[in-house]
Amino acid sequence: MPLLDIQNLSVAFQTRSGVFSAVTDIHLTLDKGEVLGVVGESGSGKSVTMLAMMGLLPWNAQVTADRFSFDDQDMLSMPEKARRRLTGNDIAMIFQEPTTSLNPSFTIGFQIIEALKIHEGGSRRQRRERAIELLDKVGIPAPAKRLGDYPHQLSGGMNQRVMIAMAIACNPRLLIADEPTTALDVTIQAQILDLLLELQQERGMAMILITHDMGVVAEAAERVAVMYAGQLVETGTAGDVFHHPRHPYTGALLNALPERHPGQGRLPTIPGVVPGIEDRPQGCLFNPRCPHVQEDCRQTRPALESDHSTGSSHDVFKKVRCYHPLVAQEQGEVAP
Amino acid sequence: MTAKTMMEARDLVQTYSVRQGAFKSASLHAVRGVSFALKAGKTLAVVGESGCGKSTLARMLTLIESPTSGQLFIDGKDATRPDKQALKALRRDVQMVFQNPYGSLNPRKKIGTVLEEPLVINTTLDKEERRRQARDMMTRVGLRPEFYDRYPHMFSGGQRQRIAVARALMLRPQVLVLDEPVSALDVSVQAQVLNLLNDIQEEFGLAYLFISHDLSVVRHVADDLLVMYLGRPVEVGPREKIFTAPRHPYTRALLSATPTIDPHARGQRVALKGELPSPLNPPSGCVFRGRCPYAIERCQAEVPELRDIDGVTVACHRAEEVMHNTASL
Repeated sequence: MPLLDIQNLSVAFQTRSGVFSAVTDIHLTLDKGEVLGVVGESGSGKSVTMLAMMGLLPWNAQVTADRFSFDDQDMLSMPEKARRRLTGNDIAMIFQEPTTSLNPSFTIGFQIIEALKIHEGGSRRQRRERAIELLDKVGIPAPAKRLGDYPHQLSGGMNQRVMIAMAIACNPRLLIADEPTTALDVTIQAQILDLLLELQQERGMAMILITHDMGVVAEAAERVAVMYAGQLVETGTAGDVFHHPRHPYTGALLNALPERHPGQGRLPTIPGVVPGIEDRPQGCLFNPRCPHVQEDCRQTRPALESDHSTGSSHDVFKKVRCYHPLVAQEQGEVAP
Repeated sequence: MTAKTMMEARDLVQTYSVRQGAFKSASLHAVRGVSFALKAGKTLAVVGESGCGKSTLARMLTLIESPTSGQLFIDGKDATRPDKQALKALRRDVQMVFQNPYGSLNPRKKIGTVLEEPLVINTTLDKEERRRQARDMMTRVGLRPEFYDRYPHMFSGGQRQRIAVARALMLRPQVLVLDEPVSALDVSVQAQVLNLLNDIQEEFGLAYLFISHDLSVVRHVADDLLVMYLGRPVEVGPREKIFTAPRHPYTRALLSATPTIDPHARGQRVALKGELPSPLNPPSGCVFRGRCPYAIERCQAEVPELRDIDGVTVACHRAEEVMHNTASL
């Protein structure tokens, strides 16, 4: 039984101009101790999906799903109070901008201890000791002294470490990291990624890593899910997705990476832009930009289906949403 | 054919005075000893992390600030301390594109107005001609001329960056300073903007100073590299020489820390401990030694001078060992 099981999740927003479905037909399962990378460009719905998981969406959002369970408990029918106990305790999240996610008016010690107070209890001294231990764990030097510091006294990387300390304070079984390193410098990014993976392995946490940086996902995640315009378009192991992409969008995205064309003049691009609220096309959402588009793509929307044609075909996670997936030859153009 | 040197910096230094309390002040060396020569049609990439002095350097090169010491030449003319009139003329030759296309365009101005503004300030062209040139430039950067009367909020990030590029080109500059021009953009849009920059560089024979922290982008666009750490250049040279055999431990660490999707390209990770030291209180000797895995006693005592090793200028005592990967940690 998977730790997290999501079947057919949709999120729609009630707006003045009608209902806008931001995310449709999401299927995700995650086992204990597994790392899943979710890649997609801005507006692809990756953050909305994760906020739905945390129950952090605004009031005008409607979340529906055939199945949405964590550790076999149904998250949608659960009473609000029980759900709040679950999120924060068993599911924790780290956000992109550490300096804006922390409250500037309180010391970092206060903020960590606050989380401990709500979820763990214990005496004042125990909580303080636990906070010091956590800061030490995430690699902050002289942790006892740092407790009294405010977020503005720390660097971006240090603040992200504090966020991680808060997130792992209650020993979560699932950690959602939404662009955890995007705002950080390369060498600090490497440190934070190493720290996250180390903690993940040590504690057997499951982790969902959301990012637009495919290099980060390739280095950190075992499985990858690619999102486009609110849908999953391809899922599979990191090796499969990055080296034998099946969906034309994945292929085009990988091909647009500068690292694949060092020193060459022009990069291959994807024409057009991601469809917005009003201009979602009929049929496959990618069809207006797809180089391999055919007639049926314009008619009906393809479903996310298992794909057994290439790579490790025994992998049940290998799925693609396309009528005419890329074949080995076309992937060849993509592979380095 | 040897291309003309469009921009030359000799030992540029920028020092700020920082107040510490009512009576004390300290001097902060934001940039120290940067030299380079940039030829027409070429791209020099400035690489480094936050706080390394990239933006200060950009401000000096775009003549927003004059350097504390050192010399700057633009198209052969001395631009170190120009008088008002010379400054105005020189500024036309160097234009800038900023990182965040959401912040760098005035939301209250139409695109047409934004593009014409440089012409209004710097030329005596009449209204008709300005309008014609603005529309012309819009087509060149891949925007439809009908967008002339639109406001910035009606455009996507990639389109805004095209507008920013068009604005920078209005005065036909010789040098474009690009401050992280694609780091706020998505991968597919990033590719489009990089292609645009590539095309206009060829068309106008522009020299680019490309500031970036993303080494995969740098490897794609740059001819030469200038790696900076805490205000000092640590490694300067041709792109491929540096990418194939980095001579400075910091460059090496940067390269190995850049995530890549190609598992074969992933080298052994050189992990850096700690973070950037305070520029107000830099360590003695080599400023990188606190985080350097190769640091030895000499690094503490002696500031490494820039020296040439096989076509690349590098500031490290153990550069040869680092280059051939024979250094003992």
